[in-house]
Amino acid sequence: MTFSHLLTRAVHINRAGSRSAFTSSKLDTANPNWLRVGLAFGTSAFLWGLLFKQHSTDVHEYKVRNDLQ
Amino acid sequence: MVYSLVRPVLGFLRGDEGKSLAPPGIVNRNSVWLSGMGWVSAMLQNAINHRPPLKSGVHRQVLLATIGWFIGYHITKYENYTYARLDRDMNEYIKLHPERFEPKEKKTFAEIVEPFHPVR
Repeated sequence: MTFSHLLTRAVHINRAGSRSAFTSSKLDTANPNWLRVGLAFGTSAFLWGLLFKQHSTDVHEYKVRNDLQ
Repeated sequence: MVYSLVRPVLGFLRGDEGKSLAPPGIVNRNSVWLSGMGWVSAMLQNAINHRPPLKSGVHRQVLLATIGWFIGYHITKYENYTYARLDRDMNEYIKLHPERFEPKEKKTFAEIVEPFHPVR
């Protein structure tokens, strides 16, 4: 068998571990992946909360250690 | 609860002595810059994939901007601590070696300048 003949046969056998460009689908922009959207917004909210909490803790530590409180 | 788990991770930035330093404000230079970089990279990703840059993937823009702001705050904290430490070490050295930092005698210009003899 020729080399190109072997390659064309490979298109039909789509094993996990390699993707053929001929079988991937186009991005579907009309239906968003709501899980990913929710995770992104949730992570953002978590990080903002963490930031404000850390900041208030730092301010409190500063006041306590310098006897301002 | 999650906060108490995360705090030891972020605590390595300053150490115990660093805690008596004033913390940076929530709005600080590094935060603004890094969150801007995150936002621009989200918009760049939109543009590369032929999507409207501002209107699409708002969750991505918000997430990357937030991550940038968060990292910027901690970088500013570390920056303040580093400069405070260097200043303190420098001042201690100056105190320990006063002979190297004697104030120079100051002369006014009138004492240095030679008399002026115009040659016209």
